[in-house]
Amino acid sequence: MQEQDHEIPHDSHGHGASVGLADAIHLPAPTPWPMVLALGFTLVIAGMVTHAVVSVLGLVLVLRSSVGWFFDVFPHEKHISVSVEARAVEIVSTRSTIAQLPVSEKHRQLLPLETFSIWAGVKGGIVGGIAMIVPAAIFGLISQHSVWYAVNLLAAGGFVSWANQSDAFLAQFHLNGLLAAAGIHALASVLIGLLYGAMLPMFPRKPILTAGFIAPFLWTGILYSALGIISPILNARINWLWFVISQVAFGLVCGYIVNLQVRVRTPQFRSLPFSVRAGLHTDHPQTKDDDQ
Amino acid sequence: MATTTPIMEVIDETEATGHGRPPVSVIYDWITTVDHKKIGLMYIFYALFFLVVGGFEAILMRIQLAVPNNHFLSPQVFNQLFTMHGTTMVFFVGMPILFGFGNYLIPLMIGARDMAFPRLNAFSFWISAFAGLLLYYSYIGASGLYAAGSAPDVGWFAYAPLTAKVFSPGHSTDYWTLGIFLSGVGSIGTALNIVTTILCMRCEGMKLNRMPLLPWIYLVMGGLVFVAVSPLTAAQIMLTLDRYLGSHFFDTQAGGSAVLWMHFFWIFGHPEVYVLVLPAFAFMNEIIPVFSRKAIFGYPAMVAASVGIGFISLGVWAHHMFTVGLGPAGNTFFVFSTMVISVPTGIKIFNWLATIWGGKIILAPPMMFSVGFLFQFLIAGLTGIMLSAAPFDWQLGNSYFVVAHFHYVLVGAILFAIFAAFYYWYPKVTGRMMNVKLAHWHFWLFIVGFHLTFDFMHIPGLLGMPRRIYTYEADRGWEILNLIVSSGAIFQAAGTLVFVYNLVSSYFKGENAGHDPWDAWTLEWSIPSPPPSYNFAIEPVVSSRRPLWDIKHPEDQDSEYE
Repeated sequence: MQEQDHEIPHDSHGHGASVGLADAIHLPAPTPWPMVLALGFTLVIAGMVTHAVVSVLGLVLVLRSSVGWFFDVFPHEKHISVSVEARAVEIVSTRSTIAQLPVSEKHRQLLPLETFSIWAGVKGGIVGGIAMIVPAAIFGLISQHSVWYAVNLLAAGGFVSWANQSDAFLAQFHLNGLLAAAGIHALASVLIGLLYGAMLPMFPRKPILTAGFIAPFLWTGILYSALGIISPILNARINWLWFVISQVAFGLVCGYIVNLQVRVRTPQFRSLPFSVRAGLHTDHPQTKDDDQ
Repeated sequence: MATTTPIMEVIDETEATGHGRPPVSVIYDWITTVDHKKIGLMYIFYALFFLVVGGFEAILMRIQLAVPNNHFLSPQVFNQLFTMHGTTMVFFVGMPILFGFGNYLIPLMIGARDMAFPRLNAFSFWISAFAGLLLYYSYIGASGLYAAGSAPDVGWFAYAPLTAKVFSPGHSTDYWTLGIFLSGVGSIGTALNIVTTILCMRCEGMKLNRMPLLPWIYLVMGGLVFVAVSPLTAAQIMLTLDRYLGSHFFDTQAGGSAVLWMHFFWIFGHPEVYVLVLPAFAFMNEIIPVFSRKAIFGYPAMVAASVGIGFISLGVWAHHMFTVGLGPAGNTFFVFSTMVISVPTGIKIFNWLATIWGGKIILAPPMMFSVGFLFQFLIAGLTGIMLSAAPFDWQLGNSYFVVAHFHYVLVGAILFAIFAAFYYWYPKVTGRMMNVKLAHWHFWLFIVGFHLTFDFMHIPGLLGMPRRIYTYEADRGWEILNLIVSSGAIFQAAGTLVFVYNLVSSYFKGENAGHDPWDAWTLEWSIPSPPPSYNFAIEPVVSSRRPLWDIKHPEDQDSEYE
């Protein structure tokens, strides 16, 4: 461990004798007017619940303190000078420092140099959401001979009046159902896509398994337990097999799209030597990703 | 091996001349001061005074509820007590004490000499202080339903139409309205100062991404105050117009809407919870790393989570109104928005745990209270998620379960964080260390009392005990639970007395603290304790988030990694 002298920071206005300081520092002058103005305002208000004379007194204080405050600031702000005298203060750690085990070139944790941008998740969510429509539409066609069935089921959570509607009604086209379903689907797809964008760099070893199967099954499990509260109508009619298929479709496509995106550099990249950042050397620290 | 780096600091010789002056001169100094540190301390003293007052009111209520069929208090006095207790604790304890810490610490942590608007700062404090006095003057001067000397009795959220002239004759409700209105003016002024100071007065090198997390969070909190307090102030004006000039904003019989008041109040009220809890997070962000001997884990995520909490908290207010009947769209939106806020909050908890993980933990008093905060805030968050589900809330809204939940937040999280902050920054403010033995007594008495009171308070709520109930029959199954809850209040009161004694006695007898007793890393620890009136004789220059670490460890500076 080496010791090194530290640059003494200089006051931009300082011309002190021993350490480049000003002999005195200017601070705003104390003034009673803020307190008097606050008291005046309070009395003006208090007069409403006590007596008009109290308000009149408050008004007088408000006017007087406003004038006083004005002349505190104009034409020149009032200051006081506080004299200073320099002394040396050591800033020192009171704790002993232990030697670091030579586990790596640098003992600090190595963080990833690159990750996905936030837009990778958004794009993945959008494309995955589109892909998910296909199995959902097939499910509607098979079960009710209508592509609108799945759309209306999704939208039904927002329309209480649809609670007692028949399957035939849900198989018809409804513009408000389409708009509601599109909104719910788009929002959920983008949010899950963002989650993928954030998660995938954490689990780089088996991206297809993570994105295409583990995440959809976890998500399905959460929804399975909560759907009765979120949308009882959907809960009563949902076909979980088709739901899982559509989730897997989303996961595979979304994960594929996210992985296609160009990675962006994290702040850790900026701390690398210039030669490494410029690509002249490749001796940057190895990461888990590099091993693969 | 310790690394030492000499730097030059200055002392203010004028400070020494304060001793032996006549008391009038000293009082005049405090009344006329525009120094952010003195104003911060005045905020804290004033809040501590009201903490004792509000705590005394709570104890009276707990005595009343300790046994069934009790008539220790009259119903009228009980109504006044829960109104004044809630109003006092939120507006005249929570807000001022956190503004006080902010006032004291923000310029020191960002390397500034004072707040941006020192005179506005003094005005904001004084108008808040006078607001509290005006509210409590109602005990003497208000003519209410029970003749002269009637404190407000409409509850701390003062729902319409109870506040209408016909149901609240006299002036007791007006004292509440006007006191809150004036307090709001002070809050806006202080928030303006905090935001401007942080944005405009940081020292050289302190970019936003190098700023300590405490100022970051106060910046978010200041923004929240702008947005949240304004509707409350507007609502107070509307209520005053209703009561004085015959308008009908909240008069349902004349075409107004009582629900409108609820919207106005809670669009203030829920962000207000975050106005109070965000500074508590800020204290944790400073204390936990120092006592874990590690840099905070995930600084950018912590900043993003704070901003996220601030943003989302503006869209959750109607979860206080599920029992009104919001309709499916409203219920769905507010259930989800409320649940979503657990994401950034969870990020914070995980990051604090990750900071502690693998660290060399020092269980000094600030860290003990911080650990208490972590555990209790987690529980408070979990019951919050339970209550965010509308069907659950329909069952338990306005029950003692809700009372237990928000006291877990306000006491278990915020008050514990405030205690941690007292123990952490007391040496900086006074130059003396607080007594550790007394701090341990304080901690254990308070944590036992807290859990006796607020853990057991959930159960009568689940059994159907409504909040604000004056007394109850013996056959409800609540009596033993209420006795335990009330007994916990005694432990808490004893702990608080130990704390106050420690504050006072350590000022006179505490060990000298030096300028950096905790071996900390932010700028306030680089100057003498207590700090001179100008804070920094030389404007500091920073190159990382932990400038003192860089000076103490020149061989391993943070600036090489950030």
